[in-house]
Amino acid sequence: MHDLLSIIKGVELFRGLDDDQLQRLAGISQRETYGEDDLIFAEGSPGDSLYIIVKGEVEVQMRDEQGAYHAALYLGAGQVFGEVALLDEGVRSAAIAAATPDTVVYRITRAAFQDLCAADLALGFLMMRNLALDLAFKLRHRNYD
Amino acid sequence: MIYKVSYVVLGGGHPGAIKNETEMPQVGAKIRLGRQTFEVVEVKQMMPPRDDFQFLHATIKLVSK
Repeated sequence: MHDLLSIIKGVELFRGLDDDQLQRLAGISQRETYGEDDLIFAEGSPGDSLYIIVKGEVEVQMRDEQGAYHAALYLGAGQVFGEVALLDEGVRSAAIAAATPDTVVYRITRAAFQDLCAADLALGFLMMRNLALDLAFKLRHRNYD
Repeated sequence: MIYKVSYVVLGGGHPGAIKNETEMPQVGAKIRLGRQTFEVVEVKQMMPPRDDFQFLHATIKLVSK
């Protein structure tokens, strides 16, 4: 838990949260480890969780007009993915695969996330603000391409 | 300070990456994305810094696979 706390203090998604709030977030996070090229989730699958990368990189994979998957973006430690489906409750808009051996992520389910936000509105506000800023960053990255 | 960096690759052969760095990327520095090595050719601020975070765009070019 201590390691996770020190890690998530360096994640922008949790910027502005105090130690108690971080502790509660760490408490609803589940560690998962993937090998290189392992699929973390498939495009079109139900989106019930967001993920925080704590070690390694993941590849965001999207389909082109011919239906072939190609890498659309790489995300490294400290980045978040899966947040779109977590927010809009739609299916996954892209597939995500581990791009490095021993890729470590923490997963937070929508149900646990919503419960935490409802129980602590200040935490909920900060998380939603930070999620919006993360999406803005990704949009700017894409527009710069 | 944590530097959240949007890496955009010249030529479009690589989709780019978003990573957190503990040091600000410098022009001429080599960075690794996956198995490939790139050289930083330009660094710009993307958004104003907030708390311990700076938000940067780095344009990079492929050096080796």
